[in-house]
Amino acid sequence: MKISEFLSEKAIFTDIKATKKEDVLKELVELLGNSGEIDKRCTTKILTALMARESLGSTAIGQGVAIPHAKVDCVSKLIAAFGLSRKGVEFDSLDGEPAYIFFLLVAPQDSAGPHLKALARIARLLKDKYFRDSLRSCQDEKSVIKIVTQEDEKKF
Amino acid sequence: MEGNNMPLVRKEVIVKNKQGLHARPAALFVQVANKFDSRIVVRREQEEVNGKSIMGILTLGAEQGSMIIIEADGDDASNAVLELEKIINSEE
Repeated sequence: MKISEFLSEKAIFTDIKATKKEDVLKELVELLGNSGEIDKRCTTKILTALMARESLGSTAIGQGVAIPHAKVDCVSKLIAAFGLSRKGVEFDSLDGEPAYIFFLLVAPQDSAGPHLKALARIARLLKDKYFRDSLRSCQDEKSVIKIVTQEDEKKF
Repeated sequence: MEGNNMPLVRKEVIVKNKQGLHARPAALFVQVANKFDSRIVVRREQEEVNGKSIMGILTLGAEQGSMIIIEADGDDASNAVLELEKIINSEE
């Protein structure tokens, strides 16, 4: 599974302004809504599902990375948004450090398999410190898509 | 080190969770793994990852029914494997 299969350039933002968990999620979901990849009416549902998921335990897995994710019945396929925060966000992360890299995943209700594969794929890329650093130094959406696509080709 | 027999404990476990080893059980797994001094690795097929790294565990993408191997190396190895096995065996 390639990341470029479920992440479009329009769903990338390299300067997240929000500094609170819920606001960051809101910003990412709006991004997804504006990308045209989902029904706009679905955004509220997604945000609620994401917050519910966070209340079970933070999706900030450490090393400055958060992978907020949820399943909803109003999307028909797995879809992602990507955000970078310059300042970092307190996200109750597992290592106590702020999160800078956000990979938001939204999947249809009944999709255990693709969801897990996408998580695995994202984790594989982000495990690499060099890749995390290159992501964080991206100044625009195009450069994010470029390095993600490069990795997709390399490690597929 | 010769003469210093650190026990190596290895156990094959089948993932019971319907969603597979997704973010939440993975987080729980590394949380428990980090309580132990033993070196812990988890294997699935050709892949071998650090059992104390959530990114490592997520990389496995272990779905329900897949077989993983938990391996612990150190003085508290048997307890570590015992506790970690419980997480993999849990259906939650």
